[in-house]
Amino acid sequence: MNRAIATVLLFPRNGGVVLLRAYRAVISPLYGDVCRYYPSCSAYALGAVQEHGLVVGSGLAARRLARCHPWAEGGIDDVPLKRKRRYTVTPFGFVVAPSHGKG
Amino acid sequence: MDLLGTILWPLKWGVELLLVAFHWLFSNLGMGYNDGITWVLSIVGLVIVVRAALIPIFVKQIKSQRKMLEVAPQLKKIQDKYKGKKDQFSREAMSRETMELYKRTGTNPLSSCLPLLLQMPIFFALFSVLNDAQRSQAGVGPLNSSLAKSFGSATLFGDAPLHDSFATQWTSMIAGNPFNVAVMIIAATMVVLMTASQFITQLQIVSKNMSPETKASPMFKQQRIMLYLLPLVFAFSGVAFPLGVMFYWLTSNVWTMIQQFLVIRNMPTPGSEAAKAREERLARKGKLIATDGDVIVVEEPKKPQRQQPIAKSRAKKQTGPKK
Repeated sequence: MNRAIATVLLFPRNGGVVLLRAYRAVISPLYGDVCRYYPSCSAYALGAVQEHGLVVGSGLAARRLARCHPWAEGGIDDVPLKRKRRYTVTPFGFVVAPSHGKG
Repeated sequence: MDLLGTILWPLKWGVELLLVAFHWLFSNLGMGYNDGITWVLSIVGLVIVVRAALIPIFVKQIKSQRKMLEVAPQLKKIQDKYKGKKDQFSREAMSRETMELYKRTGTNPLSSCLPLLLQMPIFFALFSVLNDAQRSQAGVGPLNSSLAKSFGSATLFGDAPLHDSFATQWTSMIAGNPFNVAVMIIAATMVVLMTASQFITQLQIVSKNMSPETKASPMFKQQRIMLYLLPLVFAFSGVAFPLGVMFYWLTSNVWTMIQQFLVIRNMPTPGSEAAKAREERLARKGKLIATDGDVIVVEEPKKPQRQQPIAKSRAKKQTGPKK
């Protein structure tokens, strides 16, 4: 039951994950390494959407893109993690509710 | 207006302004008002303006790439630490440490995402301007309906409309309807040219402008793969995009190629083959290069010591006998 709800709730962010994976597979390589941060902007966007969902994640990604300009220092800039992390991520990057535990 | 339209609106306006301005210029210079070539040159003008505006960013990137030489020993240390470790976690840890080093030393060689972020919407804006013009629809700004009609019906070589793509012609060919061979040929030619220019650009960088440290890194391998993957990407997009958009892309690629050539020739990455070639070239002309890459013009060697003042009587004694 909970798993079904979770699947529905996670649907938008998984859609975002598919789009971002496609971007990272097809368009990102066209430009090579350009980002002044680690993880790169698209990796950050992927992580942000996985962690915070489509709306908040997109907002975080937009903020990061705004930070990534030629006058920025760059460096390490990880996605802020939620205090309580309830989902797991598959190797492809889909966010799922954990199959074990109380959920 | 939808969200995407709102974001693209100012860009479309700018793209239209540049296109119309160049079209005005070229048609006043005596080129045909409705000719395809006039509109193609307007697109080329648009590319030149956009890319010229991005030059300062590029120069900044080159300058910080030069500073990389200073951190080369530290970079090597990191690379040695992760040598032979190919698993994902080591790779990530290595990128992380490298990035931290760049930040600490202020030598980040990467150009940031901004230039791409700027160019992609311009590309889409042009795409949508062409799309509207195809239906002879006036644009959002300077492209009024008569100009849009001219743009929309502009053809190359007599019968290849700029708004047409390989895919549309292919579909009508499959369906047994009349189709336009000229569009297909031009599109195919442009795909080949785009692939060639991109290939040359990448090959220039890979074969000449990389320091041995970079060549040893995993990044390099990835770039190598890209070199052979890109033609596929171009083939796909070349089929789907209208000719006008393809001209934008092709011109942009050619610009990158020339820019890269000039950079490799005049400011190569320290330690790379291009840098050695440049040193030799300059050495032949009797110039030397400082470690930061600047040219030093060699002057006549000065006398090491100043002449000691000598009393008149002694001077006579010294120079006297020789005379």
